[in-house]
Amino acid sequence: MTINDHIITILTISLLLVAIFSVTGCVDNETTKDGEADNQGTTATQTTASDEEAILKIFHAGSLSVPMAELEEKFETLHPNVDVQREPAGSRACIQKITELEKQSDILASADYTLIPTMMMPEYTNWYLAFAKNQIVIAYTDDSKYSSEVNSDNWYEILRRPDVTFGFSNPNDDPCGYRSVMVTQLSEAHYADESIFDDLMGDNTAITMTFENGTYTAVMPASEYIEPNTKKMMMRSMEVELSSALEIGEIDYFYIYRSVAVQHGFKFVELPPQIDLSSVDYADEYNTVRVRTADGKIVVGTPIVYGITIPDNAMQPELGIEFIKLLLSADGQNVFINNGQPPIVPAVTNDLENVPAELRALL
Amino acid sequence: MFKIKQTRHMFTSRKAPEPLMLVFLFLALVLLLFVAVTLANMVIEQVVTDLPALISAACEKSVIKSISLSMYAGLVATLISLVLGIPAAYILARKDFFAKGFVESVLDIPVVVPHTVAGIALLTIFGANGLIGAPLESYIQFRDAFAGIVIAMLFVSAPFLTNSVREGFQNIDPRLENTARSLGAPMWKAFLFVTLPLAARHIMAGSIMCWARAISEFGAVVIIAYYPMIGPTLVYDRYLSYGLSASRPIAVLLILVTLTIFIAVRLISAGWRIYDKD
Repeated sequence: MTINDHIITILTISLLLVAIFSVTGCVDNETTKDGEADNQGTTATQTTASDEEAILKIFHAGSLSVPMAELEEKFETLHPNVDVQREPAGSRACIQKITELEKQSDILASADYTLIPTMMMPEYTNWYLAFAKNQIVIAYTDDSKYSSEVNSDNWYEILRRPDVTFGFSNPNDDPCGYRSVMVTQLSEAHYADESIFDDLMGDNTAITMTFENGTYTAVMPASEYIEPNTKKMMMRSMEVELSSALEIGEIDYFYIYRSVAVQHGFKFVELPPQIDLSSVDYADEYNTVRVRTADGKIVVGTPIVYGITIPDNAMQPELGIEFIKLLLSADGQNVFINNGQPPIVPAVTNDLENVPAELRALL
Repeated sequence: MFKIKQTRHMFTSRKAPEPLMLVFLFLALVLLLFVAVTLANMVIEQVVTDLPALISAACEKSVIKSISLSMYAGLVATLISLVLGIPAAYILARKDFFAKGFVESVLDIPVVVPHTVAGIALLTIFGANGLIGAPLESYIQFRDAFAGIVIAMLFVSAPFLTNSVREGFQNIDPRLENTARSLGAPMWKAFLFVTLPLAARHIMAGSIMCWARAISEFGAVVIIAYYPMIGPTLVYDRYLSYGLSASRPIAVLLILVTLTIFIAVRLISAGWRIYDKD
């Protein structure tokens, strides 16, 4: 009310702001102090990293968030002058940020390594490394309906029950989505039940399945025409968005990568290797199912393998190489093992010639 | 009137303009260009380089459907905001009470909360097992349904209306209401025929802001309702599935539609100034 009151208010607010910033400032200072000490101790071994402050940008699949966060921490300890900035999104969205929005990233990691050759080559890169594997499971919690009886023999029967709700991500946007469709189609032959796909997906969405010359092709309508039966199922653009839906009991089950289920502490039904896209031994079987996404591209069923590359327009390709070195090291491999994404050792490449020289020795 | 005189004076006086005013003018110009150039660039580029794509987007059924859904759901959210917001605004403008500042802050929180956070909070409450969603489960579904879209829009845009209307009520001299009361009007009559008309322009401005905010909302809506697809969700999905060039015509269309409404409503309400106190 009076001028004095205003002055007191302003002073209080300023003090509060100073307090907030000094706290965050302290944290910052501490880390740089630690970093400096660390830096001095290890300068002899750090030959490639410069002492200048640098930013390492990583676009990666949502399902790599947890291991990438752990690697970020390790990398920043090794390179205290580097700030790792990660942008998780659907794998396609990650690549499109580079190819459509011309955003620069030093590393791109996709949940489907085949997206790198189909969407990025040759304009944005000409090599990739296949470095880790995964598999599709059906995740649930203790609160899910019929959670006490679900197993790898009856999961599809339970998803069929009218009072059960389930989810999968949009096959147009997300590899986990089209893989969910593939797993469902593969299960028909495995369980000798020809109506699994129709009961779970065909009747609840506008996705249609065609069969020709021994190959099943699911045809995706444009996303706005998928028309999911929202009483029975839930669809989202990215698979990790469905995790929260399971946590709050909005759905009872959902198709997800084993790694995400492990990281979230969900219970899950492990599916037989014939259908869960985990094993190179069944690559021929996986090959019989395809999904034609709304943009007309056809994705063929393949074992789930993560791919990584350094785009040609990277700002800090040297740091990208350092990061991939860490990812391929024994330390990095452990991160992936602990998060339910078994590493491929040694990593496999499409074209050794084009892989940066520093990485070739590790393959 | 006073304000207009003053500005005229500034521009027509023979004296050199105040240096501070020049600085202000320059900074205002920077802000104006920042907004105008960004949006104009997108619209003009689309119109110049690929007009057919814009026209075919405007004729596409799913585009029309999703943009109309945005507008319709936004309108419903605005109407609910009016019903809930006007009484709240009146109380806040006229009464002093314990913890009033706290109440005002709570009503304003949606403005500062990240919209994805708002979406998560709403899905938790209105989901099938949520505090509000569970008891209503057999009557109404919020997740992936029209009701969910409205709820998300309401949450993020209601504060704009409440704040604007409260400002309007604050500008009205309570003595006008008291005069009406002393002449025998019951409180509801005084409110309906004195207070509300005097605040009409603020109510209108607040409603436009609220509606526009609702139409453009994406972050909160997409978490509670990916389907049915509203305009911004469709833009995002086209971008994911087909890339930038496929999503831009719809984005431009969305800008043009909202801009048209904005200007139209402003023009209509311009005449309402006569009710203002100044």
